Amino acid sequence: MRSFAVLLRKEATALFSSPIAYVLMTVFLLIMGYSFTLTLFLSHQPSMVHIFFQMFVLFMLTAPLITMRLFAEERKLKTLEVLLTAPVSEVAIVLAKFLAAMSLIVVMLVLSGAYAAALAWFGDPDFGPIYSGYFGLLLFGAALVGTGLLASALTANQVIAALISLSVFLLLWIIDNFGWLLPSPADTLVVNLSLSVHFRPFAVGSIYLSDVGFFLSVTLLTLLLTVRALARR
Amino acid sequence: MLPVVSPVVFAERVTKWYGPRRAVADVSFAIAPGEIVGLLGPNGSGKSTIFRMLTGYLVPTSGRIEVAGHDVVEDSLGVRRAISYVPEDAPLYDHMRVGEFLNFMAGIKGLHGPKTRAAVEEVAERLDLARVMKLTTGKLSRGFRQRVSIAQALLGDPKVLVLDEPTSGLDPHQVIAVRDLIQSLAGRHTVLLASHILPEIEKIASRVMILLDGVLLTSDALKDAAQDLTLRLSAEATEDAVRGATKAVAGVREVTADPDNAGRFLVKAERRPPLAADLVSALVAAQIPVRELTELRPDLERVFLDLTRQPKAAA
Repeated sequence: MRSFAVLLRKEATALFSSPIAYVLMTVFLLIMGYSFTLTLFLSHQPSMVHIFFQMFVLFMLTAPLITMRLFAEERKLKTLEVLLTAPVSEVAIVLAKFLAAMSLIVVMLVLSGAYAAALAWFGDPDFGPIYSGYFGLLLFGAALVGTGLLASALTANQVIAALISLSVFLLLWIIDNFGWLLPSPADTLVVNLSLSVHFRPFAVGSIYLSDVGFFLSVTLLTLLLTVRALARR
Repeated sequence: MLPVVSPVVFAERVTKWYGPRRAVADVSFAIAPGEIVGLLGPNGSGKSTIFRMLTGYLVPTSGRIEVAGHDVVEDSLGVRRAISYVPEDAPLYDHMRVGEFLNFMAGIKGLHGPKTRAAVEEVAERLDLARVMKLTTGKLSRGFRQRVSIAQALLGDPKVLVLDEPTSGLDPHQVIAVRDLIQSLAGRHTVLLASHILPEIEKIASRVMILLDGVLLTSDALKDAAQDLTLRLSAEATEDAVRGATKAVAGVREVTADPDNAGRFLVKAERRPPLAADLVSALVAAQIPVRELTELRPDLERVFLDLTRQPKAAA
């Protein structure tokens, strides 16, 4: 357990001491601030629904940038040899990297809480959809980080790692658009792979176990595959 | 000498394939506690692959490896607790300060609290790292990187130390310092080191294994070298006269003229105590004046060249 804490601290320090984390947070807050202000002034509604959909898209674009270096850089610099020959399990290494990357996602979510606070300060928003939206984004972020981690474990090239995860996210974002055209039961199968189909209910205030299960399953599966990818040497 | 009782490292018929390429073929060896064993071979001969399998980084395609009684596949964590590895090129986390890196490595090796500080201070002193402890590892010279890498390997007092090309890229002073350090580890740790530089490994290791194209040609090259005795004879006679005079001496295998020195000959023979006396007697009886007869020390270079020139015959 103590070794795990040492690993986690190393990953978090590496992440938060790199300029990438701060550039990402700045860009994220700038874009979200602009969207939030614009939609608020246009709609006059104390709602975060549009913001959640914006964050959904921004997370897909930023998660690969957070996760791409996690294993690819270690593989390229050969520090992975040092790490994987130390007496720590692959599971601990993967979880430490996952939690460190998730901590940045959480920080971004917490910072975006300023918008919810502003709505609460000046208006009377319905907090149900706000809570469910954040819960959904957290689960969604975990699935993205898990997938990004797996892509990073498969290559020594950070750009390729980022491109693999970005391609997967974009495909799973739009897959339901074409999925409906497929014959049954393929349509149901394909549509249910869609990230947006599973995220939409969270954003509008509904929490379904199937959606929670989907994101948790993707997270667990990708983490498991990452451990397998490291063990297959 | 090959250990016969409770080896700390034991490999049995280990083979590793990278896709269609066989990197290590049917390699078996055993290493006794406290030995310093050198693994010698040209670049690409499979040394690093063997080390990566020993340390649990790679899994053998077939065969069995045990380190300190733990199987590398079944109990990889057990192996990793007993072994420390200094990979080639001394990879370090370049954003970390030296002290921070050593503390991190101590932490993941299970050292915590006051134990960490004591262990880090000990290795820093041993490797003379005090003045670079606050520098980031990315700014270190090649020599210091190597020393930091060896320092992290010593943390946790591992039973087995595996060093891949520990002196490559170092200047002569640093080479001597690293060599002295490795020699000082004998007894306390079992050390395996790889090198493609023959004189280097000859100076450090108590036993030398030679690897070529993934095949272990010998697991004790020094012993092989010592089995045959080579004597340098300086005498006023032709090669034929010397050969004729010595052919009746028991144990003499071959007499050749030393190509670099006129009037000098190399006599290869079986190692037996009265050989030199018999040789001198035979030469004197043939009225050949003998100026010098010297035993040459075991020639690892000769063994290495003989084995690597004819790998199939030697294997």
